[in-house]
Formats: sequence, structure tokens, C-alpha cells
Amino acid sequence: MELLGYFVSALTPLNLLMALGGVVLGTVIGALPGLSATMAVAVLVPFTFTMDPATGLIALGAIYTGAIYGGAFAAILVNTPGTPSAIATTFDGFPMAKRGDGSLAVTLATLASVVGGLVGGVFLLLLSPPLAKVALAFGPPEYFWLAIFGLTLISALSVGNTIKGLLGGCIGLMLAMVGVAVVGGDIRFTMGTHTLLGGFDIVSALIGLYCIPVLIDLVATPDRHLKVEQGKRGIRLLEAFGLTWKSKFNVLRSSVIGTIVGILPGAGGSIAGLVSYSEARRSSKEPETFGKGAPDGLMATEAANNATVGGGFIPTLVLGIPGTPPDAIILGALLVQGIKIGPTLFSQQGEIVYTFIFGLLIATALMLPAGLLIGRYAYKSIASIPKTLLVPTIAFLTVIGSFAIHSNLHDVTMMISLGVLGWVLNRCGFAPSPIVLGLVLGKIAEQGFVQSYLIGNATNNITGMFFGRPISLAIVALAIFTVAYPLIFAKRKEKAKKRALDAARSYSQSNGETTVQEIEEIKAPPFDPLAGLKKQIAKPRDVSGMVVSALLIVAAGWAYSQTATMSPMGSVFPSTISVAVIILSIMLLALNFLRKPAAATGETETASVSRRITLVVVMAGWVAAIPVVGFASAAIVAFLILSRVACYEIMGPKRQLIEAVAAIAIVGGLYLLMAKVLLIRMPSGFLF
Amino acid sequence: MRKLAIAAAMAATFISGTAFAEYPEQTINYIIPFNAGGESDVSARFQQPYLEEISGQSFVIQYMAGAGGAQAWSQLNGMEGDGYTIMGINLPHTILQPMEKDVGYETKDLTYINFFHYTPNALFVPKDSEFQNLQELIDYAKANPGLVTLSGSGSNSANHLGQVQFDELAGITTTYVPFSGTGPAVTAILGSQTTGGFNYVTSGVNNGDGMRMLAVASETRVKAFPDVPTFKELGFDIVGGAFRGVAVPKSTPEPIREKISQMVTDVNNNPEFKKKMEDAGFVLTDITYDFINDFVAAKSEEYREIAEKLGIANR
Repeated sequence: MELLGYFVSALTPLNLLMALGGVVLGTVIGALPGLSATMAVAVLVPFTFTMDPATGLIALGAIYTGAIYGGAFAAILVNTPGTPSAIATTFDGFPMAKRGDGSLAVTLATLASVVGGLVGGVFLLLLSPPLAKVALAFGPPEYFWLAIFGLTLISALSVGNTIKGLLGGCIGLMLAMVGVAVVGGDIRFTMGTHTLLGGFDIVSALIGLYCIPVLIDLVATPDRHLKVEQGKRGIRLLEAFGLTWKSKFNVLRSSVIGTIVGILPGAGGSIAGLVSYSEARRSSKEPETFGKGAPDGLMATEAANNATVGGGFIPTLVLGIPGTPPDAIILGALLVQGIKIGPTLFSQQGEIVYTFIFGLLIATALMLPAGLLIGRYAYKSIASIPKTLLVPTIAFLTVIGSFAIHSNLHDVTMMISLGVLGWVLNRCGFAPSPIVLGLVLGKIAEQGFVQSYLIGNATNNITGMFFGRPISLAIVALAIFTVAYPLIFAKRKEKAKKRALDAARSYSQSNGETTVQEIEEIKAPPFDPLAGLKKQIAKPRDVSGMVVSALLIVAAGWAYSQTATMSPMGSVFPSTISVAVIILSIMLLALNFLRKPAAATGETETASVSRRITLVVVMAGWVAAIPVVGFASAAIVAFLILSRVACYEIMGPKRQLIEAVAAIAIVGGLYLLMAKVLLIRMPSGFLF
Repeated sequence: MRKLAIAAAMAATFISGTAFAEYPEQTINYIIPFNAGGESDVSARFQQPYLEEISGQSFVIQYMAGAGGAQAWSQLNGMEGDGYTIMGINLPHTILQPMEKDVGYETKDLTYINFFHYTPNALFVPKDSEFQNLQELIDYAKANPGLVTLSGSGSNSANHLGQVQFDELAGITTTYVPFSGTGPAVTAILGSQTTGGFNYVTSGVNNGDGMRMLAVASETRVKAFPDVPTFKELGFDIVGGAFRGVAVPKSTPEPIREKISQMVTDVNNNPEFKKKMEDAGFVLTDITYDFINDFVAAKSEEYREIAEKLGIANR
């Protein structure tokens, strides 16, 4: 048995050490938003030249898989995906942590990631050459439909609020259009500035849209960030094993989806997570729990994104086409080592390839003990750390993370601006997730569409291009199924819900309005097509939503006028989206005109507005001060100010001293990680 | 007063003299204005160990992708000019981009140091394509105007220029389909999503089994592909592709610029490096700091002519 021999040769002490070290380093880097696997792998590639090729590859692969897994920590604990792959992890991971199930969430994420990683790795081991053909079968129309399928998740994410969800998606799509267009080469919506030429960076947008609102709300009240767990329940490993076993089909399905999406060079971990999340929700018996802390949603995403690691290596090693950016760097490293990529790699240089694959599998398995150990302390420390340290630490991470992407302060400015915008929009009922989906999927959808159109037009077969290809049709069918499924099966659920509702009715008094509305929904006859509209009109008038839709009409009008000077290729997508924004906004406005004005609630805002404003002002001033006084000194000063902003109690001198030392340790530690480990040039002003 | 000025000048020479004598004495950041995995990245990775050997310092490769490279180039002059930040730079990109529109930098604002290699354009078709040679493709395109689709990396890129020149000289009409990089463009050829595509010769090395190279746009045949004819041999005067090199911020002192150019040349002269690069399909060039500006000026003239034909020479 040849494979067994390779397995044994992967088991050298050095290889094991590299696998373990790589996974731990990767997990830490992945958990810090903005620091990516690409960065870590890029820096470490030269070190691997001094090693045996297989050992070097194992180290790189371990960092990569660790980073994808590490992204879940930030998603669960601070509602910010540590890597774009963990976008869908925030949907259920953060609600779980919020209600006190944080360590269960981390343990589940670990188990799912390990299973996903192993499944992807086994596919890589056994079926690489045939599976690589999947990468080639995916042409522009398939990418277009895959992106559309991803966008259908908006309907699931914004139940009862569909128009706002769709508008949010359109905002994201519009943001994705900013900058130089790949197809057509037009410069779009930069408003004459050069900083927007490259568009909005997805990672800095993620940090801004998810993390800044968390910060703004953290300083506003003295409440804890996460609920502390009751009693000593540890990492809840047995419970997590039980849940994973119960959801074994979900985890396996998500792992397979992750592997296949990973094979597609244009897709990647974020899409894998979103697609499998969507599938998990569709096939769940309790889809209504998704988005409110459903373990199944979390496991689906985490299994899928780690499966993309193995999947992504398939086209990289077989075809020389990297599936993801870290794959691209590893591919470059292979070329420099003189390893010839291609189908013959597996037969002629089997020793390197199979030792590497086994090394990757071993690294994935080592994620289990390493992850559980890190997770145990991560949740505890985030849940128990005082706000005076938590707020400035998260703020510092957002700044350092968005700076690290391109070693560029523009990204930090963009991150904070988008964050404040996201917070305001969220207050007006526009959740950040549809915006992020639009931003992540916009470019893929646009390029797929325009390329399909160009090819279809040249071959006089536009309809066939979009609707005549089997894989495309399968994706279209899945998308329709996902959107329509809740409607088709609503009736069946109605009955079950009614039964559950009788039991739950006793809670309704204490819970107030929202529950009362749900009862109305159940009572409405299922065959009345206007029921949904009536229900919508019955809601009180939403003035802030009206203001936002009016502003959106103005913005979309401006965007539409800008498309006049663009090339046809560059203008088709933005002009369509502008029109969609205008139509949706008018619908939202009309709906609100039909509604009755909201009764004065007499509810007074207990949260501190002044602290919120101070936080935003301090962060803006921070970015402005960096080029003047230097990165580290600006960070320490801002850190100390923010800890005052977040302080609700009187602290003794001893605690103040401890926190000041902690501040310097945190800032100093991360600064050194950036400057000395990742070797990013930090801006220095007249100080340091 | 005058004495003071002289003293200051002497002090400055002394300080800078010692500083330059020691250069490089710390890690050098080598910024690639594209994503990982492209030709710019791979060639920098090839250089990396040799540059480290020559300089005794580590070179860290970082990526600052965006706007087809313009994102990074427009920021280059704002970076520290101490020789510890160098950036990959490409032609025709840095000529065509500012010629077409305001992208935040002008061709002459950039400080070019050394172009160390060149990747010619080549025309590829999938392995199982019906077209065995260039003439068969041209005949088919003549009979079916517009039906032939050719993939390439981006709009108004070196690949795009190749397609435009090919159409004009062969008297045919093909449809250019831009993709977001050489990787996706090659994938489209491998998967027969398009009839073929213009791409760099280097792609033929990585994916040699899946594609057939019909012609290459260089003066002479490329060493890695001795059997593939040049466009010139076949009667079409198409020579094009991308030059890649390094640039520095404008504030970088002269002696450091020369030192960097020398290091790049030294690496190019290393036989081991040379063999690795040529096996991977790169064509080494030696356009050093002393005459690089004349070279860029000459190329600017040349590309302006093509850009005018394309209708993108707006500025």
C-alpha cells in the first residue's frame, strides 16, 4: 500500500511540529480580523525554501487551514468575521455567545472545522484529477448564477423585512461597483478621488460594518458584552459531540459543498459558507431559529469553509490554477522550488504531494486539541475582561487589522466610515449582512454576467448561454427552490406552529408587541394573497426608513446619471442596480405612506449618546494622528482615552495601574506581531 | 553663515555617505501591485532567494492589488524613500493607464529602476480545439466574423492590445472577453469557455498539457517553446507583452537607486536564476537604471500609436 508509506513519511517529528505550530499560528492570525492567511503564508514562504519541500508545504498548509478556522473566533465572540470565510459564522455564532453559549459555539466550530477540513483533505487525497474538471466546467454563466444563488440568502436573512433586505443587498452591490471595472476598464463612482480607484476592500468593509457597530453599542451601556456562562460548564465537549452527531448529515453535506466550491477558482470560502448555510437552513426542521443562534447554521459554515482548503488545492496541484490567494502563493513557492505542476505531479512527484496531503490532514486533526485549548481561554477572557480593556482592544484590532490589508491608512478611514454608516443603517432597519452579501458577490455576479453576455452575443446564443447549460440550470433550480421553499411548505408549518403557539401564548403578555404580531400572522387565512401586504401596512410608520429610502433615491439617481459616460460593458450592471434601488425605495416609501404614524412610545433612550459620539470622534482622530505622531504612540493614547469612554465605574489606583500596563502590553504585543513577525512597515511620525 | 552651511553640507554628506555605504542594512519590503500567483508575483518569488543572498537582507513580498496596479503605483511616491520599500512595476500598464484616464499618477512621475524580464503575449487554444495552427483559426474567423471569442486579462491590457493588433493585421473580427486576471483567463481557455485567448507565454508552461500555443508575439522564438512560431515568422508584425521590473519612491537617493539596479542585474546574471526563469517561460532583459528612462520614453511613443488606434489615448 503505497499511500500508507507516504502517511508514515508525513509522521516525522519535524513535520508534526510544523503542522502543530502552523495550525496555532494560523488560528491566531485568522482570529484577528484583517490579518489573513495570505499575509502569513506570503511572509513564511522564504523560510520553507530552506526545508524539504513537503515539510515546507505542510507548514504553509497548516497555517492556511488554521487561519480559516481561526476566523470563527472573532465571528463568534465579537460578531466580526476574522476572515471573509467566516461571514456566515456571525449569523448564529454571535447570538449563541450573546446568550451565554459562547464556549459551546467555539467547540462546535472546532468540531465542524475539523470534519470539514478532513473531508476536503480526503477528496484531495483520493479524487483530485477527476474533481479538477469541475473547475473547468464552471464558466462565466455558472459563476453568475452561483453569485445570484448566494444573493437569494438575503430573502432568508430578512424575513418580514424583505424590501429593506433587498435594498441593503443593492447598497452592497453598488459599493462593489466602485473603482476600476475589470470588464470595460471604466472608472466608476470614485467621485474624482484616487483613494477609491481600487474600490472598497472587502476585509476592511467587513471589519467596519460588523465591528464598529458592536463598539458603538458597547460603550453606550454598562452591560456586559457577552453573558457569562452559568456555573462551571467548561468547553462542553460532550454536548458538542452530541449536537454534531445529531447534525451529521448537515456537517457532511456542508463539507462536500465546501470542497466543491473550493475547487472553483473564482469562488472561495465566503461563498462556500454562505451556500452551505443557505442549504442547511432550507433543509432544517426549524429554519426560524437560523440567525438567532442555531448550532446547525454555525456548523454548516465552519464545515464548509475548512473544506475549501482541501478543495482549493485540487485545481492548484492538478491544473496549476490556484483556487484561493493563499493557494496562489503556495503555487508560486512550488514553481520556485522547481516542482512541475500538472496531472503528472501526482504520479511523478507523488512523494512530495502525498506527504503534503497527509501532513495537511494531520494538521487538520491537530486543530481539535489546539483549537479547544485556545477556544477555552478565548471565550473566557472575552466574556470576563472588563469593558475598559475590551473596548479599546477591539478598537485597536479594527485599526491595525484594516491597516494591515494594504499597509494603508485609507483602508482604516474607509473602515470607520462604513462602520458608522452601517450602524446608522442598522438603526433604521437595514441589517449589515445583506450589504456584505452584495459587496462580496457583486463583482463575481457582474463579471460572470458581462462575460456570458459577450460570449453569448458573439455566438448568437445569449439565451442558451444563460439558460441552456446543465450546471447553470441546476444552480438556478436550487436558487428558486431556496426562495420558494418556505412559501410551499408554509402551510404544513402553520399547523405545527399553531400547536407550539398555544403553549407559548402565556409568554406573549410579557414579551409585548412582536409576539402579538406573530399571532396575527398565524390567524391570517393562508390563501389570502394580500395577507402579507396587510400585515406590512399594519405596522407603524417607519420614519427613519422613509428618510433612508429618500436618500437612496437621490444616490441611485446620481449613480444612474454617472453611467451615461461609461462603456456599455461597464454600465449595464450599475444602471440596472440603480433602477432597482429606485423602484424598491419607492415601494418602501409608498408602504410607509399607507401606514399610520407610530404612537409616541414614551420610551426613553437609556443608552448614552454622548459616549457613542465620543467613540467615533476618538477613532477618527486616531486615524488622523497616526501619520503625525506614529502608529504606536497614537494607539497608546487612543487606547487610554477609549478605556475612559467605556468606563462606568470608579476604579481604584491599583486597577488603573493594572489596566495601563495591560494597555501597553496589548498595543506593544500586536505592534510587534505586525512589525516584526508579519514585517509590515508601520507609519512613524515624529514619535514612534 | 556660510561656514555653517558648508558644515551642514559636510555633515549631510558624511551621514548619507555612511548610510549609503551600508545599504541595505535591514529588511526590504518588495510590494507587488497585484494579487499573488500572477507573473509579477512568481518572478519576484524567483528573485527573492537570490536577492537575499546578494544583499544579506531578507526581502518581504507583499501584495497591494487594486485597479490593475494603479492603486499601488499612485501611492508609491508617498512611501518612504529610504530604499527599504521597492515596488514591482509593469509596462505597458504604467504607460496605458495614465494615457487613458486620471489614475493618480503619471508615467513620468514614477522612478523606474530596472526592467529585468519580459513575457511575450501568445495566442492559445484549448488542447482539443479544432485549430491546429494560426492559419486555421484566421480562416475560420474570416468565415465567421465575431464568432471567435478570445479571453485575456482585463480591459486595455497587454493581452487586449495583442487581440486588437491581431484583428487589424489579420483582417478579422474576434470578440475579446476580459477576465479578472491571467488565472481566470487561462481557466476559460482550459475549460473551452472561449475559443482561445491571448495570454503570456508563462501560462503555457504551467498549463502546457491543457492548451496549444499557436503563435508567440516576440522577436525570436521563446527558449521554453522552441517549436512555437512567432507572429513575425507567420507574417504578422505583432510583438508585445509585458515588461516587469522594480521602481522606488521618488525621494529615494541616487546611490541607493543605482545599488538596487545593480542587485537586480546581478541576480539576472546568476546562471541558476536564469535557467529557472527561462524554463518557466520568462525572457530575461537587462534594462538598467542608466538608460531606463529613455526606454520608457521610447515605449510610450510606441504604445501611444497603438492606444490611438484602440481609441483609448484620451490624455
